[in-house]
Amino acid sequence: MIREKRIILRNSGVIDPDSIADYINAGGYKALSVALSGTPVKVVEEVVASGLRGRGGAGFPTGTKKQAAAARDAGTIRYVVCNADEGEPGTFKDRAIMESNPHLLIEGMIIAAYGIDAERGYIYIRGEYYDSNRRLEHAISQAYESGYLGREILGSGFSFDLEIKPGAGSYLCGEELTMLESLEGKRGYPRIKPPFPAEKGLWGKPTLVNNVETLANLPGIIEHGSSWFRSSGTRRTPGTKIFSVCGDVRKPGCYEVDAGVILNDLINDLAGGTRNGKPWKAVLLGGAAGTFVPYSCNDLSMCYERLKERCATLGSGAVIVVGSGRKLIPLMQSILRFFRHESCGKCVPCRIGTTYIHERSLEMSGAGHDSRISILDEMVNHARQMAISSLCPLGQSPILPLETLQRHFNETIATE
Amino acid sequence: MLQAKEMVIFTIDGRTIEAPDDSNLLEIARRNGIAIPGLCYHRKLTPTGACRLCLVKIEGMRGLITSCTVKVTEGMKVTAFDRELEDTRKLLLNYLLYEHNDAYDGTYPDELRELIFRYGLEKPDNRYFKPVWEKLKFVTDDSSPVLTYDPSKCIKCFRCIKACDEVQGKNVLSFTDRGIDSFIIAGTGIWGGSECDGCGECIQLCPTGAIVEKPNREVINLEKIEKSVVTNCPYCGVGCQIELLVQDGRIVRSNGVEGVSPNDGRLCVKGRFGYEFVHSPDRLTRPLIKRNGSFEEATWDEALGLVADRFTEIRNRFGADALAGYASAKCTNEDNYLFQKFIRTAFGTNNIDYCTRLCHASTVTAMLKAMGDGAGSNSIEDFETTDCLFVIGNNIIDTHPITATYVKRGVVKGQKIIVVDPKWTPLVRYATVWLQPRLGTDIALLNGLVHIIIKNRWTDTKFIEERVEGGLEAFKQLEELTARYTPAYVEEITGVPAASLNMAAMLYATSPTAMIATGMGMSQQVTGTHNVFCLINMMLITGQVGRERCGINPPRGQNNVQGATDVGCSPLNYPGYMPVTNDDNRRRVAEVWGVPYESLSPEPGLTTVEIMQAGYDRRIKGIYIMGENPMISDPNLNHTEEALKRMDFVVVQDIFPTETTRFADVILPASSWAEKEGTYVNSDRRVLRGRKAVGCPGEARLDWKIIHELAGRMGWPMPEYRSENEIFGELARVTPIMAGISYVRLEQGSIQWPCPDKDHPGTPTLYLDRFNTSTGRGKLFPVEYVPQNEQTDRDYPLMLNSGRLLYHYHTATMSRRTKVLRDFVDESFAQIHPGDAGRYGLTEGARVRIESRRGELETTVRVSEDVLEGEVFMPWHFTESQVNRLTRDELDPYSRIAPFKLSAVRITKI
Repeated sequence: MIREKRIILRNSGVIDPDSIADYINAGGYKALSVALSGTPVKVVEEVVASGLRGRGGAGFPTGTKKQAAAARDAGTIRYVVCNADEGEPGTFKDRAIMESNPHLLIEGMIIAAYGIDAERGYIYIRGEYYDSNRRLEHAISQAYESGYLGREILGSGFSFDLEIKPGAGSYLCGEELTMLESLEGKRGYPRIKPPFPAEKGLWGKPTLVNNVETLANLPGIIEHGSSWFRSSGTRRTPGTKIFSVCGDVRKPGCYEVDAGVILNDLINDLAGGTRNGKPWKAVLLGGAAGTFVPYSCNDLSMCYERLKERCATLGSGAVIVVGSGRKLIPLMQSILRFFRHESCGKCVPCRIGTTYIHERSLEMSGAGHDSRISILDEMVNHARQMAISSLCPLGQSPILPLETLQRHFNETIATE
Repeated sequence: MLQAKEMVIFTIDGRTIEAPDDSNLLEIARRNGIAIPGLCYHRKLTPTGACRLCLVKIEGMRGLITSCTVKVTEGMKVTAFDRELEDTRKLLLNYLLYEHNDAYDGTYPDELRELIFRYGLEKPDNRYFKPVWEKLKFVTDDSSPVLTYDPSKCIKCFRCIKACDEVQGKNVLSFTDRGIDSFIIAGTGIWGGSECDGCGECIQLCPTGAIVEKPNREVINLEKIEKSVVTNCPYCGVGCQIELLVQDGRIVRSNGVEGVSPNDGRLCVKGRFGYEFVHSPDRLTRPLIKRNGSFEEATWDEALGLVADRFTEIRNRFGADALAGYASAKCTNEDNYLFQKFIRTAFGTNNIDYCTRLCHASTVTAMLKAMGDGAGSNSIEDFETTDCLFVIGNNIIDTHPITATYVKRGVVKGQKIIVVDPKWTPLVRYATVWLQPRLGTDIALLNGLVHIIIKNRWTDTKFIEERVEGGLEAFKQLEELTARYTPAYVEEITGVPAASLNMAAMLYATSPTAMIATGMGMSQQVTGTHNVFCLINMMLITGQVGRERCGINPPRGQNNVQGATDVGCSPLNYPGYMPVTNDDNRRRVAEVWGVPYESLSPEPGLTTVEIMQAGYDRRIKGIYIMGENPMISDPNLNHTEEALKRMDFVVVQDIFPTETTRFADVILPASSWAEKEGTYVNSDRRVLRGRKAVGCPGEARLDWKIIHELAGRMGWPMPEYRSENEIFGELARVTPIMAGISYVRLEQGSIQWPCPDKDHPGTPTLYLDRFNTSTGRGKLFPVEYVPQNEQTDRDYPLMLNSGRLLYHYHTATMSRRTKVLRDFVDESFAQIHPGDAGRYGLTEGARVRIESRRGELETTVRVSEDVLEGEVFMPWHFTESQVNRLTRDELDPYSRIAPFKLSAVRITKI
């Protein structure tokens, strides 16, 4: 029987999220003092040493990003942007952090900004997250009043301003370059990569873009050191990870555990097991842009390296459990409808490919065994072509669920 | 100058290619004949990476890369064609055919269709998918006067959006909805209800015919195009290069010519759609002689015989100076050169002028005196790259739309803009600061700016010492004169707040480079020359001239208003600005023309308005008007009308019956720009080649041939020119600034004068080393502000200002014979401030009578905060409401320009 290991969420549900005093009494903003008493380089070095990997989905080493953003064009304006546009289906861990402990994110952002010498930060937040939005607004004004934001923070020479920008309901705006477009007030279309944000980000300036959970890890790393951080998780995925478990489980919710936790333990010990008590049929890891795994993968260790070995993804940490009684075709159709609906339309393969494969998937419902097999095969081929020819991650995503469905559930789909 | 980029060597499919470092891979590949497909890329636009057809493989890079988004680097190894790439491209084309309605009517170039054929997908059987576009239920937008958008043919390549945004700076277009359901909207909805001004850049860059032209769509068939002719736009002085498509002897389309100066493919609504007048049934096709008060058709022989006899008779009876000629800013250099030669020889007088007297005469006068050249100092491209642009009395977005595209692109890159205008103009939206002085107070305002500049020591002492006549001594006089123009004093006169004055002075004087664009607001005043002196003073003391991207520019009105003066249609100067009063000049010109030196008059002639005044006084008895319409364009029209009536013999050579032809004794049917070969000079002194697209209608003749024959009939034969080329050859011999220019050279591209010899490359920027004055230095002319003669009073309480609209051109003889331009605007109006509207009980749309001390008209009210309280603005194009019935023919003493911008009026509801 495993248990949660609450580091990021340790004060969630304990302190009043609207009270900066509560946060400070619980040790909040101590890491910031530690950071400000040392050099910015020290902050970056500590993050590099911690081995923290981005918690938004791609798992890119956070320290490397910070080094890149800090290294560019000395003396130029820099930005820190928090990606709080949590739009991946089945993912709600950032919301948990922001609603229950907004100051943790703010503190993480100030530390990140200090590390790269950014003078301004933005939290690009999912527009529908009304409570997160409200709590953060309140927390930011408190932080200004208490001298954690604004001019000469805590008497140091460092100044930093932070504001919130709500999104308007586009999944794609959670993609970092599209998010920057949206932040600049433009329509949310993906940019061409490279340049990466660390080189030319917001308004063409070096920009560090991090996910909420990533930034929420920084105060701990700075206060307690990188070796403390590495004492959790695995060697190549250090730290804890918040999983948002949902679907056909008894206790859906956010669970913070050591990275590398065994999938079945997560489902059974923490999420209360499946609703009907029977072994689950499939789990979709990482949301719509994620991978299906069959029950035979119930021993999966939930860390980047192990999942990759088994052709699965950790993604944002979404764990969508599909119970034994549920059919896969409607679920697949729903995922493909989602991509079709969210495709921005900029590039040809994604705009038309997402429509085409969704239309094809609808034909599966009434089709027989063989034609289901051939339609799925055709869809996978299209998704593969889309993946190699699309402009941004959205068009590169449908291959993930489709290919794993075909690999693990080809016959199930043909016969269900 | 830009540093030349280093060259890199790389390979595409094993072929070694050399290209400048950092160039666009797709562009370089195509230039080397490697036809990588692609639909969303266009040379003029930032790369989009949307269609994905240009995917390639690059060694060392993961996956497939769009070549339109990659810069070439040394040693790069590119695979442009292999099985996988071609399969992917074919799939992508099939995807496009899934959503795209591929019906084709042959009226537009279709890049997608070319690819469909190239990849063998023209037959539906060869395609992968059954099309879905019909299910998407797109609605065609037919609301624009100039174009139609069919979303079912749209491949969402972004080219139209970027054409509107990056090329034209208008930002009207965008997508609405998402994914496969997305389509283009203009503004927040349909084209017709948007700010789209109809320039058609989106049409020109659309690769699939989703956006197509309305005019001639029922007629045009690209396969039946007989010829396409590159020529000059017939409207304003930007000199845009257009390509006319001719089918069945008629012009059916005008495209912008890509890759050449000054417009690089860009056009405005007039340049793209304003050609319809050429084939108007109103065209004059036979000579007309007025008999017993009405016009009767005549033969050329009859008409020319009569004209030659009557002019000769007047010359013999009243002397050469009883004759005069109006040249034309719409005719070519060759036409105008021969015209002034005709007036100076056959008439024997220097009484030759034209509409330049009504537009930039004062600017040219001031520039000639202070700097030695009567033309803009910079190139149109510099409007994009200068750091600061001082735009005064110049509604550049409406009057010089393509120059304005450069300005708008500059703003995106951080250019600072100062607008000085009593009336709101669209450029105000882009301005860092807008100064809104009361009408007629410009000298006070500019002296005030000079005062601030001197006070803050933003002057360039070194420049003053080295390049200004009289150096610091002369500067001191200016300093003393402007001492009393304190910001407080200037604010009192002009109404412009001191803070705005300070900001404008600081921006102009302290920017690394700064240019001035001065327009009719400055020049069309009794103090026009003084106004421009003040501008030049400010420019000289700050050293914002004599370097690249610095100087002063009067964007010119007509397409050849610059050229007509350059080739001698001036009462003061022979071709090339050589004064007629100088004996050496007379000798030189007489020699080339083969006429006795004594036959050329040494007396300066009368100017445009003076000619009419002399006609009124019965001193001018006969006039030859070529392609001008003074009965709309001259000031104080009641007076002009009487002058024409009093003249013994009036000849008008034109392409249409006009307000002026009514007063003619003989009307000679002439040729439009589309019917002639020749050259034009644009605002940046660029000599541009015009070419014949269609033949003259009926018996209409080329202008130069009419002049040529008349000269012979009057006993002053000219050489037998076999072509316009030969006329230009003679012109170049007489005109030092064009001596090095020839038709052969112009085939390679336009050349900016001065170009003194055949090896000279032309001159993009004037005054880099010296001014063109006798001493080589620029001159300061300190002048005082004097209140205007024309003042409002109890009877005439409002001050009227006049100007142009984007959609019409001058006396509108051409633009109002083009349907789409009429569809945008076809009615006169007067803009009145809401305060005045309230005061005089006027509401939007009310019909009113406007009266000045000289005349009256009727028009419609538009209530608008674009104008200051106490001021009224009217466009002067409309014959139904002739604004020049109200204006004065009082003249600027130096340049003889009339004050079109300032007339006291009263308004009463009808």
